Amino acid sequence: MGWVGGAVAVAVLPILVRNTFFLHVAILVFMWTVLGAAWNVLGGFAGQVSFGHAALFGIGAYTTIILFLKGGLAPWWGIPLGGLVAALASVPIGLICFRLRGPYFSLATLAVAELAKLAALNWEWVTNGPIGFLITTLPSLTVLGRRVDWEAKTPFYVIAALLMAFAILSTAWLRQSRLGAYLVAIREDEDAAEAIGIDTVRAKVVTLGLSAFLAGLGGGFYAFYFRYVDPDAVLNIGLSMEMVFIAMVGGLGTVVGPLIGAIFLTTVGEAVREHFQVGHLIFYGLFMMIVIRFLPEGIWGKVRSVLPGMRAVRHGAP
Amino acid sequence: MALLECRGLTRFFGGLKAVGNLTFEVAEGEILGLIGPNGAGKTTVFNLVTGFVRPSKGQVRLDGRSIVGLRPNAVARSGVARTFQIVKPFPGLSARENVTLAAFLRHRARSDAERAADEVLERLGLTHRATTLASQLTLMDQKRLEMAKALATAPRVLLLDEPMGGLNPSEVDVAAGIVESIRRSGVTVVLVEHVMKAIMRISDRVVVMHHGEKIAEGSPASVVQDPQVIAAYFGTRAA
Amino acid sequence: METFAQSLVSGLLMGSLYAMIGIGLTIIFGVMRIINLAHGEMVMLGMFAAFFSQKLLGIDPFLSVLLLTPAMFVLGVAIYWLLLRKIIPGGELNTLLYTAGMSLLVANVALLAWSGDYRTISLSYGLAPMRPLGIAIPAALAIAFAMAAAITVALWLFLSSTDTGRAIRATSQNREAAILMGIDVERVALFTFGLGTALAGAAGALLAPSLYLYPTVGELLVVKSFVIVVLGGLGSVPGAIAGGLLLGVVESLGAVYVSATYKDGLGYVLFLLVLLYRPTGLFGVGKS
Repeated sequence: MGWVGGAVAVAVLPILVRNTFFLHVAILVFMWTVLGAAWNVLGGFAGQVSFGHAALFGIGAYTTIILFLKGGLAPWWGIPLGGLVAALASVPIGLICFRLRGPYFSLATLAVAELAKLAALNWEWVTNGPIGFLITTLPSLTVLGRRVDWEAKTPFYVIAALLMAFAILSTAWLRQSRLGAYLVAIREDEDAAEAIGIDTVRAKVVTLGLSAFLAGLGGGFYAFYFRYVDPDAVLNIGLSMEMVFIAMVGGLGTVVGPLIGAIFLTTVGEAVREHFQVGHLIFYGLFMMIVIRFLPEGIWGKVRSVLPGMRAVRHGAP
Repeated sequence: MALLECRGLTRFFGGLKAVGNLTFEVAEGEILGLIGPNGAGKTTVFNLVTGFVRPSKGQVRLDGRSIVGLRPNAVARSGVARTFQIVKPFPGLSARENVTLAAFLRHRARSDAERAADEVLERLGLTHRATTLASQLTLMDQKRLEMAKALATAPRVLLLDEPMGGLNPSEVDVAAGIVESIRRSGVTVVLVEHVMKAIMRISDRVVVMHHGEKIAEGSPASVVQDPQVIAAYFGTRAA
Repeated sequence: METFAQSLVSGLLMGSLYAMIGIGLTIIFGVMRIINLAHGEMVMLGMFAAFFSQKLLGIDPFLSVLLLTPAMFVLGVAIYWLLLRKIIPGGELNTLLYTAGMSLLVANVALLAWSGDYRTISLSYGLAPMRPLGIAIPAALAIAFAMAAAITVALWLFLSSTDTGRAIRATSQNREAAILMGIDVERVALFTFGLGTALAGAAGALLAPSLYLYPTVGELLVVKSFVIVVLGGLGSVPGAIAGGLLLGVVESLGAVYVSATYKDGLGYVLFLLVLLYRPTGLFGVGKS
């Protein structure tokens, strides 16, 4: 019931609200929900804490922007391809990093992300090095008979909303799937999971692939919306941390958590940016500390445990 | 041909020889007891057979096919299941969920897996505890759950690592009865145990280990009188 | 040959400071099993404290270490007592993320307060490099090395000869046994966090005259520190010393013989290799 209401609200919003700043914030919320969901799939469901997700985001961003600038590929092809390339890249990354557990795994992801940034800075023949890529004109396209007006927020709003819907639906699917159940087992006791026949490496690699796909989608969207991609913008560790925070603040292992986290952090962040120009990351750090101290299950996790009738049903409720 | 066979199984940890040149066979349908003083290497043997640890040397065969080098989940899939000496349930999940996860190995659909899990729970007397969280079960029930998880993978061989540890005498009897019923259902059992009463009662044959090596093998009665076995447990003067 | 010797020496000098940072991180991990992602920010605070004490108070950065070290110790104790103590029972993951939040907070408050401009410290005596045996050594780095060495020796004596030092080592080796022996592990943890933070701050002050200072330098340093402690074995002080020196040398030689731009990358690759194949560190003394 809540889902239908939410979907309707999202669909109707751009018709009712013309304020571009508001729409911009909504678009950011949608994008960050996708990214938070991406991290949540690996961190919340599989229990693998990655500090290098910016690498997957960046791969998506670069793929999409390069495919557009060199091949003229429209966003509805470029963005999914960005996701796909990120997912493919995640396989060797996973095969290396998943041989490690716990904090060792997290440190390895950190190293991989830093290496990705170094590669982007130095492999100029692919990535244009520190200069990066800039989209000056977006393609002239028609959808349903109408010319797409890239200057307005609406097309981006629609794309972002669709991506968010996909992210939420994939997470919901994962939650009730056999893979999702296996991930719970792995989180509870990895050795015991192996002992009952669960291929833990394959489960983790597949989950990482989904996580990477979502992160790459987010990156691809970023490329088209912000139109500028360079190593500093899309491969910095701050981005990795923001993804962690959104998933954490919203509620790890929940379907709706990333959306809540994205709403919370984006609105606060944008408000701070409006008034103070800098320092929104201060609030991210502060909220992270507050949430872990007082709300370790995240905002949505707390809501669920407090409201009667919403207590967690393991294979079902968001 | 034996169902499970270890040949020359050896494992070093640095300079320590945990298991040395161990050779034994398990025939289909038998209950084999594996005993020995603490530190003899019994749990290491289980780890070697089930893929948690790689042997330094030697072979492990199931039905003639080598299973050395397979990861634990592949070993489980090929039909060898195990329990852990210190039980490893999934603490935050109910008993039913625990067993259903194991049943997924042989049943793709959730409803089939749940049905299979319910059957195993009933066989092990856990039906009334199906919705209890594993972390809140009594020790005896946790041990039943441990066996239930292993059985839900429909193994041909079940390795039980000290299932009676920490149980009182009447619980030991119940556990021994459970192991016998497992064998009656067609599963071959290798049992590591310290509780002699249980080993004597239910084992068809016994292998004795000491310092990583096999020092005796035979019927429970003959092994108990073997001077080397007595020396291993009680010292040379007692032998 | 001369280039080799030159870069080897530079690497060792720099490495000694890396080692100090690494020691701080490794003792914290050894005693509390915490991976402190805010460690880089502690170094950064030390750097800026040295900078401002010179700029505003006219105190030489190397002298400021004397005041700074106890101050950073107090800061570390405060952070542990007021903040971390309540988080640790929540588990490794929560603690890790909490320190990540702390790191973000401190770095960005610093960014807000001091802007992202690169700063340098200039020393009146730092201009002419010393030239023993024909190898040029910047005076600032030489002094830093000497002080780092002295501090490390003092630390080693502390850990091996004093009761508190031994309590720290015992807790690091086997927490449960330490509790059974009557060691107040909470107090040890408190002390160790202060000590680790003090080492980081002191290293920062010593490094300040030799590097560019900017508020987000912690990001780069924390990754380097982890490379060091993993190379040397998590929890091992001698390992951290060796790891620090090794990283310094690898970076220095790498910059000369492989590529200046990829020198950081070498460290990361080495790090991944060690994590994969020798997780207990190159010398096998680390905890898993």
